[in-house]
Amino acid sequence: MLAVDMAGETVRAMNGSMVAYDGEMTFKRQGMTGGEGLRGALRRRVAGESMTLMEVTGQGTVYFASEATEVTLVELAGDTLLVESDSLLALDGRLQTGVQFIGLRGMGTGQGLATTKVEGQGTVAILSDGPAIALEVAPGTPLCVDPHAYVAHRGQLQQDVVTDVNWRTVLGQGSGESVQFRYQGHGLVYVQPAERGGILEI
Amino acid sequence: MPGYTSINAKMVQVPIGHGQDVYSRRGSMLAYVGNVDFAPTVTDGQGIGGAIGRRMAGESVPMMHVTGQGTAMFGHAGLYVHVIELTGDTLYIEADRLLLYDATLQKGTMFLGEQGGARGVIRGAVSGQGLFTTTLVGRGSCAVISHGGVIELPITPQRPIHVDPQAYVAHRGQVDNTLTTAMGLRDMIGRGSGEGFQLRLTGTGTVYVQASERKV
Repeated sequence: MLAVDMAGETVRAMNGSMVAYDGEMTFKRQGMTGGEGLRGALRRRVAGESMTLMEVTGQGTVYFASEATEVTLVELAGDTLLVESDSLLALDGRLQTGVQFIGLRGMGTGQGLATTKVEGQGTVAILSDGPAIALEVAPGTPLCVDPHAYVAHRGQLQQDVVTDVNWRTVLGQGSGESVQFRYQGHGLVYVQPAERGGILEI
Repeated sequence: MPGYTSINAKMVQVPIGHGQDVYSRRGSMLAYVGNVDFAPTVTDGQGIGGAIGRRMAGESVPMMHVTGQGTAMFGHAGLYVHVIELTGDTLYIEADRLLLYDATLQKGTMFLGEQGGARGVIRGAVSGQGLFTTTLVGRGSCAVISHGGVIELPITPQRPIHVDPQAYVAHRGQVDNTLTTAMGLRDMIGRGSGEGFQLRLTGTGTVYVQASERKV
């Protein structure tokens, strides 16, 4: 669960995720464009990376939660966080969101062709099924992650897909670890201790 | 009665002995040590009148009477278990949230109309709580189940609390609750913020809120 103390600021949160508050709060669903402009809205629609946020403004403390999942806070200082829109619980009103196309690697892992980009200065609350850990990636030590356990990443990272599909996988006798995301560069990857269901059993 | 020990966030251990019997949700026993008996009960130790009233009110979850000598462990469906101590005050809780309670506590059923008349009835219907709620009065402990764990929020006359009806678990103390709506044009056309209804709790007491909007 996430508690936010507010003194007149605005936060944006997943629609319907408020569980309790004290003080005075107003909840307003963001318009079709979600603060991203008409072009942003179109990109989002095309990418299938739908995201419904509400604007919360007021004085007091507001509590957010969703489906009993764990909440991790990420502080952004001008850099960019890439996260699935399903995993985004709340973010500072000052942060900018957008859609980032990531190519074909999302296919088959249930993540689609695009992901959500958050940038600016402020705090983001991300959801994970079980507590998330942040794994550091340094030049020379690439990190491989199960696509189903991937939550978010930040920093200067190149992402590619590593496959280890052989005749055993085709016969249904694979180890269940045939596809991985590999990150190279400098940054942090957030990983959860559970695997989402994808389209393919890989 | 002392002795409810949390083994982890989802299991609770209770000593059972003479004068230390408990009622628990039927089928929630996980393990026990010693001579412990589990007897299904329909009256929950309150007489047949209470049982009929509860059945009619739809606040009836099958319970069992746990007696004997030893210790028993309880849990249900991997849900979080939270222990609440009562010291003579009243806990208002949905029947399906109650995992176990001391036999020294008096269980009752309250018509929501008693708290706010017709508005109480509407509140129960809208929030999915039904028209009745369960009360526990006396001195003793009880354990409640929740999805994702509960937080306790104190309510003071200066600091009313608003709760999402689906995340509400229980409350205690001298608390008045009303259903407030922030319905606007946006909600009518399906573009609401998802926070159209809230329970407004005022007075002095505590409210228990879970980290999810899922029912048990």
